[in-house]
Amino acid sequence: MKYKEKKDYGRWLWVLPAIALVICLFVYPLGSQVFYSFTNKTLIKSTYGIKGLSNYTAILADPSFWLALWTSVKWTVLSLLFQMLIGFSAALALNSIKNKVARQVYRILLIIPWAFPTIAIAIIWKWLLNGIYGFIPTLMVQMGFAKQLPQFLSTPEMVMPTLVMVNVWFGFPLIMVNVLAALQTVSQDQYEAAQIDGARKWHMFWYITLPHIKNVIGLLVVLRTIWVFNSFDIIYMITGGGPANVSTTLPIYIYNLGWVNKFVGRSSAAAVILLIILLTICAAYFCVLNKWEKEADS
Amino acid sequence: MKRKWIATTLACSMLATMLAGCGGEKGADTQAPASDAPAGTTEDGESAGTVETGELEGEITFWHSFTQGARMDAVQAAADSFMKLHPGVKINIETYSWGDFNTKWNAGITTGDLPDLSTAQNTGEVVEMINAGVVAPADNFLNTFGRDKFSEKALEDMTWDGNTYGIPYYSHAQVMWYRHDLLDAINAEVPETWQEFYDLAVQLTNDDTYGAAFSCSTNDLLGARYLNYYVTSGGGSLLNDDLTANLTSDLAIEGINFWVNVYKNCSPAETVNYTVLDHATLFYQGKTAFDFNSGFMISGVQSNTPEIAEFVDAAPLPKINADDPDYSAEATHIPLAIWENSEHPEICEAFVAYLLQEENYIPFLEAVPVGMLPAVAGISDTEAYKANETVQFYGNAVDVISKAIELGNAIGVDDHGASVQASYLTSQGIIESMFQDIITNGTDVETAAKTAEDQLNEIFDMMID
Repeated sequence: MKYKEKKDYGRWLWVLPAIALVICLFVYPLGSQVFYSFTNKTLIKSTYGIKGLSNYTAILADPSFWLALWTSVKWTVLSLLFQMLIGFSAALALNSIKNKVARQVYRILLIIPWAFPTIAIAIIWKWLLNGIYGFIPTLMVQMGFAKQLPQFLSTPEMVMPTLVMVNVWFGFPLIMVNVLAALQTVSQDQYEAAQIDGARKWHMFWYITLPHIKNVIGLLVVLRTIWVFNSFDIIYMITGGGPANVSTTLPIYIYNLGWVNKFVGRSSAAAVILLIILLTICAAYFCVLNKWEKEADS
Repeated sequence: MKRKWIATTLACSMLATMLAGCGGEKGADTQAPASDAPAGTTEDGESAGTVETGELEGEITFWHSFTQGARMDAVQAAADSFMKLHPGVKINIETYSWGDFNTKWNAGITTGDLPDLSTAQNTGEVVEMINAGVVAPADNFLNTFGRDKFSEKALEDMTWDGNTYGIPYYSHAQVMWYRHDLLDAINAEVPETWQEFYDLAVQLTNDDTYGAAFSCSTNDLLGARYLNYYVTSGGGSLLNDDLTANLTSDLAIEGINFWVNVYKNCSPAETVNYTVLDHATLFYQGKTAFDFNSGFMISGVQSNTPEIAEFVDAAPLPKINADDPDYSAEATHIPLAIWENSEHPEICEAFVAYLLQEENYIPFLEAVPVGMLPAVAGISDTEAYKANETVQFYGNAVDVISKAIELGNAIGVDDHGASVQASYLTSQGIIESMFQDIITNGTDVETAAKTAEDQLNEIFDMMID
């Protein structure tokens, strides 16, 4: 019995560095974020006090928070929808190319946007869409599509669709590559059997392809939802959240609270709310994914 | 039992070591305070900036924001030669853009990663640093080097509770820039009032050129800067005497309406989201006829559109009425600040004195001639300084800017002295957000101004002890 007890303590010693790392890199930042959300801590003052739920009530009463949340929802849903549609279509198209070399070449060409650093993408698109000397507005006028230079980045109605377009251009290759990989795991025998049974292409897609890759798609949707909802760089570098906050998403709202206004406490509270929102969305997604997995197992 | 005890002790010590690495605040709080001891510098007769030093030894970190090649090279060259003169000294130079610098030192308060010596974006930022308790008084240096070698106004901007916290490195001021070829083409004189400026800007707006741009990105300070021009020209201020924000005075409302009209009638629509650099680039590229900026405009035009550089000149900021007194809305003295946590303030002071010596200072100023005017008395009278071709060609602009430097203070400092509130007028993006709200959402000017004023006052209350 004594020997067993010694062995148990020893194994804790070996995993201790890993536990300490998790505490430092995950528990401490998250814990301090939650803690600061109940304080009036600012970025440039070392003293602060506990203020209860006042940061949360201030944020929930701030119309800019709700505007930023709504903008984040639009940004995420529209980006994800079009990334999935285009990425999925591109994957199906690539999968139907029989020539391996051609498929490889197309795949490399289509993945290019994903390979660019975000800062480069933001600067390039900002230049292309510039309403004074940008290439795209100038081209549109020269080709007769517009009488005046379209103001993609300053007209409130055009800003979000423009940013979503940039994000779709940037993000669809990831969907494409993953869906393509999943498509290539579907056994050809099933398609041949379906053909013999007289199935149409649509039926083959619906009853063979989709059930095989739906778990991959589900996982991609979960990951992309988190990434897109949290994404900060593209919008911040192209419009800075403007004009008049029309492109301010929750991460930009949180950044401005913390780094511009220097309200660390309030910014932490907003970050905790964002975390709760994302956890709720992910929980819902994982419920659906689990259900699919159970259906597949049965 | 003994082995169990050793294992548990080991585990606890490992955990404690790792957690200690995570805690930043205590580290920052317990850093050695700056020494008040004399810097070991002695004043050297008449020669500005020539200071003898004792044997110096140690390592300092210098953060500066001179990201352009020529200025960066001039500072690096001075640091290299200083290290040759003092083999026991090592100067680590780290370069951050102005915006990154603010973020970096804000974060450094928590992490303890702060420099020994740095530049600051303006005197307002120095006041923010003072409020955060991270910079040390520079009185020791100034008394030794000679306070009279710096402009009184520059020192006034950095003085707080009787101590001066920054050493002016170079100066510039906001003036009006114009293209005299465009004015000549319509037989127009340089405008002296805001109304004349507006009328000409509208007249000069056509398919190729905009009369003037009004920009208000919330990531920059142009909205506050432009509103301050107008309000100062009418003898007002963006701060009340009790240092609360004042955006709802008749003069401020008139100023907001003025700039909204400029935006609507002679500015590119896109500038609603433009930062200082985006905005200035329009003038650099000959897209705008008028602009408001410091002498940095010249190097921008020379490098972007050299063919129009000869037509560019500066004039004082317009007034509300032509017979109003002369004024200056914004003069900036870029400071060098020695940080409270520095273990070697004596090296910092000796290095600053070295940077201000004529043989190091003039090559630095020549990196952006006219853009950076000397903050040290007597330098502009030296043959070496006057020999610069750009300084000679743009002599009128130099005179206009020099006068604006003499008359002006930082935004919000005016009659109220240095304050954190003055600094927050330009660093929060709230005045810019107000302009965007009016322009984009059509919000009523009075309502938007009141909202912005309340937001600023809330920030003042929360951030200032």
